[in-house]
Amino acid sequence: MSFAPRPSVQPWARVNKSRKSQIFLASVLPLTLSALIVFFTGLDQNLALVGVFLPLQLVAASLVGFLAFGRRGVGDSFLIVLVVFLSTFVLVLLVSVVASLVSQGAKAFSWTFLSQNNIYVSNTTSLDFGGVGHAVIGTLMIVGLTTIVTVPLGLAMAVYLTQSQSKTKGLVRTLTQAISGLPSVVAGLFIMSLALTLGWERSGLLGSMALLPLMLPTVARVAEEALRLVPVDLRYAALALGAPNYRAFFQVILPAAKSGLVTAILLGVARIIGETAPLLLTVPINNGTSWNIFSGNMMTLPAYIYGYLASVFEPSQNRAWGAALVLMILVALLFGATRLLSRSKSLKSKPTKQKASK
Amino acid sequence: MNSLTKASTLSSENISVWFGQRQVLSDVNLVFPANKVTALIGPSGCGKSTFIRTLNRMHELIPGAGLAGSVYLDGEDIYGEEFDAVSVRIKIGMVFQKPNPFPTMTIRDNILSGLRLSGRKIESADEVVETSLRRASIWNEVKDRLNDQAISLSGGQQQRLCIARSLAMNPQVLLMDEPCSALDPGSTRRIEETIKELSSSMTIVIVTHNMQQAQRVSDQTAFFLADDNTPGGVVEFGATEQIFNGPIDQRTNDYVNGHFG
Repeated sequence: MSFAPRPSVQPWARVNKSRKSQIFLASVLPLTLSALIVFFTGLDQNLALVGVFLPLQLVAASLVGFLAFGRRGVGDSFLIVLVVFLSTFVLVLLVSVVASLVSQGAKAFSWTFLSQNNIYVSNTTSLDFGGVGHAVIGTLMIVGLTTIVTVPLGLAMAVYLTQSQSKTKGLVRTLTQAISGLPSVVAGLFIMSLALTLGWERSGLLGSMALLPLMLPTVARVAEEALRLVPVDLRYAALALGAPNYRAFFQVILPAAKSGLVTAILLGVARIIGETAPLLLTVPINNGTSWNIFSGNMMTLPAYIYGYLASVFEPSQNRAWGAALVLMILVALLFGATRLLSRSKSLKSKPTKQKASK
Repeated sequence: MNSLTKASTLSSENISVWFGQRQVLSDVNLVFPANKVTALIGPSGCGKSTFIRTLNRMHELIPGAGLAGSVYLDGEDIYGEEFDAVSVRIKIGMVFQKPNPFPTMTIRDNILSGLRLSGRKIESADEVVETSLRRASIWNEVKDRLNDQAISLSGGQQQRLCIARSLAMNPQVLLMDEPCSALDPGSTRRIEETIKELSSSMTIVIVTHNMQQAQRVSDQTAFFLADDNTPGGVVEFGATEQIFNGPIDQRTNDYVNGHFG
């Protein structure tokens, strides 16, 4: 038995030859032209990219679009070129940030750097000694305490904003938005002046307090959106079964919004984990390891980076880069772990026989 | 099925409903006798769904809702002081227009969700699950996949699951708000058969846009109508046979014979 050759699986993707060559020309010509112009006139490369290449590319693409589809083709090609150009631009930005962080931070990065504290380390001490262990501990403790306090508060606010019919909702939402625009240094100053007025000693606890108003609006707003996405049908279904409001919320609405709420917490943590100014104002820095958040000095990664970055000595600068790399890895680990945790639970209860669901 | 509570008589007295300043229902007086199926028919926007939601106090969840009149469950006013909304809804179950199984739960957990949500103890969970699914005639289709997610079921199965979920609570009255409007003829037929079987153990009120369905499943029918810019109300109420074959009111006659609506 012989089979007829399988037809193209995506017939809509077929492009004829002359169009192919047009597209090829439109992609190569602008680049070549811009390169020649830069070569002969000595124009600044970055300027040429935006001032020469982009307009040329837009014109070329619009021309091909016009030849292919007439006027509507022009708009499509124009948009495609802009989107590709701008997203490439953003991608290059992001990758270069990460790449420079990794390449510079790698010089300092080692197990010693991760585990040791900075006692007996001076500006010129070699990278074989000392590290950010104490700062990692401090950051985790301060951010952890803020998270423990903020998450219930933020979720409670989100519940209030979505589930209640109270008249003060609008006011609360506006205030939350206003706080989310609060400069972090002001939050730090506020807590610092509060501490000075009341005669409290500066400590990690004050740092946590300064971070709280920064994290709260993020958690509340994102959690509110997550809860709002749960169809009202589900709430009605639960209530129609004779559920009191709190059970309907905990057993039906909360599980349905789980992944959105996890995102809210993550975004909140991401918002504060790199905050520098409030911590510089409220937490006295330290070179030794401290496990006591309630009193005494404590080091944090942002403060560590801030302290060493301005140094003129190379080992110190490397330490700052290394600490920045550690901070980034820490955030990545936190995000990865939380995502994994929130996904594995729903995987377990996934249907064994999957059917097309609506 | 020996532990089932017996059906109850439900009746509404002078029910009027407002949304904000706008009155949408006026003076609805209906009696739903025990073990009877009552169909509520009428064109869109005449207040049928609004009315059925007053019968188990789901109406009051809508912001700006207002109500006058009484609803009696075996002679007791469900809006009276002795009752609260939660205990009313435990006795009077509801199936919605759109299937709404809980997406985070398995089929089995969906069935047990009513008992859990209302804080009741679950004795012999397996038995409750099987009985409820059997009564909603979906047991044979799902008995091997009770631990699958509820949303993996088809639309018709989801709706029967929702019926089973209500039945697990052993309600005395079951309210159904256009339960078949999103379903294919096959699923619709099975749900209609289910309704007939259920009427031996409970009182059923069903809103439907489907005349044939009303004739097939119901013992008595109420025809709702809202004239332009006036609140809706009941035009005619009587035995289904009479409403469809010898209506007294001309408007009922026009509607059931498809002249408008």
